[in-house]
Amino acid sequence: MRDVAIVGAGQTPYGDHPEAGIKELFASAFGAMADSVDRGFDATALDAAYVGSLGVGGSQLGITGASLTSHLGLTGLPVQRVENACASGGFALLDAVHAVGSGASDAVLAAGVEKMLDLSGDRSKYWLGVSGDTEYERLAGMTFAGVYAIAARRYLHETDAEREHLSRVAVKNHENGAVNPKAQFQREVSLERATGAPEIAAPLNLYDACPTTDGAACALVVPADEAREYTDDPVYVTGFGGGSDHLALHDRETITSLSAVREAAEAAYDRADKTPEDVDFAEVHDCFTIAELLAYEDLGFADRGEGWRLIAEGRTRRDGDLPVNTSGGLKAKGHPLGATGIGQVVEVFDQLRGDAGDRQVDGDVALSHNVGGSGGAATVFIYEVDA
Amino acid sequence: MGAHISIPMYERTVGQRLAFEGERCTDCGTVAFPPKGACPDCRNDEFETVDLSGTGTVYSHTVLSPGGAPPEFAGQARAEGRYVAAIVELDEGPRITAQLTDIDPETVEIGMPVSGRIRRIYEEEGVVRYGFKFGPADD
Repeated sequence: MRDVAIVGAGQTPYGDHPEAGIKELFASAFGAMADSVDRGFDATALDAAYVGSLGVGGSQLGITGASLTSHLGLTGLPVQRVENACASGGFALLDAVHAVGSGASDAVLAAGVEKMLDLSGDRSKYWLGVSGDTEYERLAGMTFAGVYAIAARRYLHETDAEREHLSRVAVKNHENGAVNPKAQFQREVSLERATGAPEIAAPLNLYDACPTTDGAACALVVPADEAREYTDDPVYVTGFGGGSDHLALHDRETITSLSAVREAAEAAYDRADKTPEDVDFAEVHDCFTIAELLAYEDLGFADRGEGWRLIAEGRTRRDGDLPVNTSGGLKAKGHPLGATGIGQVVEVFDQLRGDAGDRQVDGDVALSHNVGGSGGAATVFIYEVDA
Repeated sequence: MGAHISIPMYERTVGQRLAFEGERCTDCGTVAFPPKGACPDCRNDEFETVDLSGTGTVYSHTVLSPGGAPPEFAGQARAEGRYVAAIVELDEGPRITAQLTDIDPETVEIGMPVSGRIRRIYEEEGVVRYGFKFGPADD
């Protein structure tokens, strides 16, 4: 397998885009990605594209990929939609890395897109539940928040964590979203407001949940030894891994650790020859606040049952020793399902190249973590730049 | 708009809707509920059917606020307000997700003994669907 690099990454602002459908969102993200390639690139030279999308609302469920690339006049190349719920973007990137790493392709687009805010309330509630287990979890009247709430209740039972630590994740991620011009929520929230928000699925409240979001993101993946044809500052993808698990929480041995993430992380660390201690900063999948605490543990940043201490001690804030979700995360930056895994790449790309503005942190080694459903699928990537 | 469990889909799993029909691996004895394509422990694909007790304990739970209920449960949420969904660990080992009923949501605790009972779950395609919920074990 040859080494691969990312030489361009861009996204739409995340939020409400009444003026744009999936094609317009994709075009905007593609343009932002193209602008980020320092020496430019020939879009017609792309030899494959992978587009992550859950297809919320069914706007174009069949052949979504080509509907987007052909909108930009790119025809002929093999394009496919990749679907693994909220990890669709991460798996699109995994496919792109495999395609370039194998030697089969030399310039591959990894993209993600989702249009969520077109949906009526009922359709939105329907779609948000389809990534869990339909036959049993859903038939218990469960919502997606409910699934994570059940995990959160068990986590609070098994560990010394307190309810307030969940809210502190939201407070931290809003602090970061407040200085990200691409974030859906560019405002801070107080701990008092986060802990006192209306309950949605006890023990979780509204501020434990990410919003629904319109958005798209794109990244350009090329062979590492050709990266300097595009830029002097490539971001190397040195580690990558995917994993899967039972969809329903009740079928898993534990509900306070995601084995799909542990598998993906182990593969990524092994390939990059890195350990969790080597990671300078990370973008993790905080669809609900509890998910960020579980991520700390499953990624090896903390021991099992101890992840809450990182947030309690402020270590994952922007000024801490392991900043997490400098973008604002899914909580504040927003969560356009299929785009999220690629949007994480955009943040890592900007941070590692020193282009992250007011939220810039130091580091040469970064990690991204993207979870589908409640852990039915996951990807982990490790990125490095020349020190 | 609902969970899209069609009548034929429902009928195929009637042993897991109106009863606690599980399967025991003929090799290692592990009990699975609902039935799987392979033993969750040893991946053997031969099983014998077993009738489970339908009793167990609360492994974890949530109390769902009515405003966020899935569309097919909106009627229940309007009528009853907050409702409890839980993972129950059955006495024979497997865990399953179901609603709790006949109980004050504030009194539910992890480890509480519960037993299954057949109740109205929801309505789809104009047909009322019955299935199990759990309630206090001594009821």
